[in-house]
Amino acid sequence: MAALPTMRPLGCLRSLWNAPDMIPSQITRRCLSTVYSQRPKRVPLPQGVPEQFLSQLPTRMRPENAPKPIKVFNPPPSARKACTDPVAKVTESQLETLDPKGERKALFDYRRNPRSVRPGDIVRVTFKNGDPFNGVVLSIKLRGIDTSFLLRNELTRVAVEMSVKVFNPNIQSVEIVQRAQRKIRRARLYYMRSRKHDRRSVENIANAYVRQKKAFMGAGSRK
Amino acid sequence: MIQLKTLLTCIDNSGASIVECVNVLKKKRPATIGDRIVVVVQKQRAATSEGSSGTALANKVRRGDIRHAVVVRVKKELQRADGTVVRFGDNACVLVNKSGDPIGTRMNGVVGQELRGKQWSKILSLAPVNV
Repeated sequence: MAALPTMRPLGCLRSLWNAPDMIPSQITRRCLSTVYSQRPKRVPLPQGVPEQFLSQLPTRMRPENAPKPIKVFNPPPSARKACTDPVAKVTESQLETLDPKGERKALFDYRRNPRSVRPGDIVRVTFKNGDPFNGVVLSIKLRGIDTSFLLRNELTRVAVEMSVKVFNPNIQSVEIVQRAQRKIRRARLYYMRSRKHDRRSVENIANAYVRQKKAFMGAGSRK
Repeated sequence: MIQLKTLLTCIDNSGASIVECVNVLKKKRPATIGDRIVVVVQKQRAATSEGSSGTALANKVRRGDIRHAVVVRVKKELQRADGTVVRFGDNACVLVNKSGDPIGTRMNGVVGQELRGKQWSKILSLAPVNV
């Protein structure tokens, strides 16, 4: 270690001068660091300190400055028990206002009601604002209050698809114009979009139905 | 979803049959029903198809013309305020001039009802059916 600095002409002198001073200091430092002493344990304050001695303690140690216990508030009672299924509750309340008699729901509940609208039927939807729309039912999505059905038709040689919400307050009536002629084995008839299976326009069938209905109703009123 | 390069059928009697969208106006997103777009006429209708009655009327536009148009049908489904969703079988438009009046005098084919909300009632009244 001392050999290296001596190679330099002038630096050697300085190193020689400093060397005796440094070596002992390093040794002492090493001795200090290797001595193991346990951390002194904190001595707790004696319990019954007479009041006249309290003023001698540092302020933070005095009993009146001791840390106060943090106030913990109990959580509010959980709403989970009061209403176990809130989504079902909301749906129920919505259905009550939109479909009080449950007729609409029954009309599209094709899993349970055998007289309901089924995929493949031709349906006529009359709106309160706007023209009626006819079409083949491609699918019925049973989703509680969001239940909807998809109609497909062809108007002026352009395919038009319309998905209508069943509980839409804008709907005046939904009529079944014609049942599916053959038994339909699928719940979703998206294959009817392909050219091979497309029903094309069902406007004629719907118009015939309307005419028939009008004649029937007219005859009934005359009598 | 009408955007750059979309081909649309033109359903009026202006003389264009297929047009290509080159720009959507007043919008940073793809155009839908009722939006104004800029188109290039790609294919023009045969002049004889317009009928002998109005030969002067036929083909007001020619192939390569750049015109404004209003989208009247889109394939992309469109949801209305009452939750009904409407989807058409093709993309179609009607040519209009700079002031917004339709160039053609007749239209064949359904159009979307959204035109009413966007002040295109002139087109809506020309259309035979609206959905």
